Amino acid sequence: MLVARYTLPAHRAAFLLGAGEEADDVVQEAFVKAFRHLSRFRAGESFGPWLLRIVANETRNLTRSRRRRAALAQRLPSAESGGTATGGPVDEVLASERRAQLMAAVNGLPDRERQVLVCRYFLELSEAETARVLQWPVGSVKSRTSRALNRLRGLLLPAAQHRVTNE
Amino acid sequence: MSDRAGWQDAVESELRAVGRELAVPPPSDPTEAVRQRLEGRAARRRHLPVLRTGAPRRRPGWQAALAVVAALLAVLIATPQSRAVITHVLRFAGIELGQQPGPAPSPRSSASLPGERRLSLEQARRQVSFPILVPAALGLPGEVVVSDDGRVASLVYRRTPYGLVRLDEFAGHLDQVYFRKIVDFDDMTQVEVNGTRGLWIKGPHELVYITRDGSSAVASARLTTGNTLIWGTTRVALRLEGNFGQAAALTIASSAR
Repeated sequence: MLVARYTLPAHRAAFLLGAGEEADDVVQEAFVKAFRHLSRFRAGESFGPWLLRIVANETRNLTRSRRRRAALAQRLPSAESGGTATGGPVDEVLASERRAQLMAAVNGLPDRERQVLVCRYFLELSEAETARVLQWPVGSVKSRTSRALNRLRGLLLPAAQHRVTNE
Repeated sequence: MSDRAGWQDAVESELRAVGRELAVPPPSDPTEAVRQRLEGRAARRRHLPVLRTGAPRRRPGWQAALAVVAALLAVLIATPQSRAVITHVLRFAGIELGQQPGPAPSPRSSASLPGERRLSLEQARRQVSFPILVPAALGLPGEVVVSDDGRVASLVYRRTPYGLVRLDEFAGHLDQVYFRKIVDFDDMTQVEVNGTRGLWIKGPHELVYITRDGSSAVASARLTTGNTLIWGTTRVALRLEGNFGQAAALTIASSAR
């Protein structure tokens, strides 16, 4: 049913938006609120993004109350678990390192910029969907995305260059 | 690196790749907990005397609509033979909504409500406790059927531009379930009928009638045809089913007097 169908995406969103181990609680709360407030469900809207919006809200409440969000960096599978890359073990390790760095950089972003990146690239939502989920104007989605990408560029590129000389 | 679009694309695609690799632990199934919490709330409400005496609850419109629906349709759907595979049925404001995995069962042409009696419109009006509304857009029904000792009245139009059209009407009590249905929420849209909220359900879904004692009437289980519009007034809930689009259904519904 409805719950079964949307649990996985809702849980993934909650987890990645910062709920971490408490994502299950967030999802449960979100479903309960969704069903209690079906009156706010607008005509023509699809259920998924609407539920994600509640998930995002609940996650925000949770992280605000505990004053931290769950970090994601350590969640990246380690390079040795790989083996599918065609470029060989060395490329694989490099790619894996680069991604770990990217993840760390994402984790270091201000909340809103991190949220927008999670929605746009990890949950792969469109700008319009992201705007609905985060309850921001589309313009803010665009500007925060581009600000966040800029920061990542600033964080990542020097790091990548320094890595070669420092190590 | 100096090419802005270039580096941006690179970061974006790297982020997407990271996103796909991110290990997210498997969720636990929230179904039971959600159901219990929703039912727990319903149970608590039922014990509040102020609510029993009919003090108006401040239900936002959609909930009110769903209550009506429940009364109405409660759509439901669970054919008895498919019950085993229904993963969950959720009760919400008197309506039972479930979503069934897998292919829908084949339609049964012989489905009927319990105790169906074919009557004239005037006779039917004397048999039921609610006003029977007739949509002027369709004119007088070819057939009027009262079922289950006056609990439901159905207007049947066999020849319309939309094929067979059926309008089920019943008293919209909040705590009663008249029908149960299995429907995908993605197929449901909230609409407005005469200033009140209605529910538009696209496509066929399973529908079963729920008797006064709360059991589903086996012989009533069927797959609906076309699309369905559910709405209500303060005294009657209506469920319109036929091969029409949303606009035509709304026109029919708003002509009901």
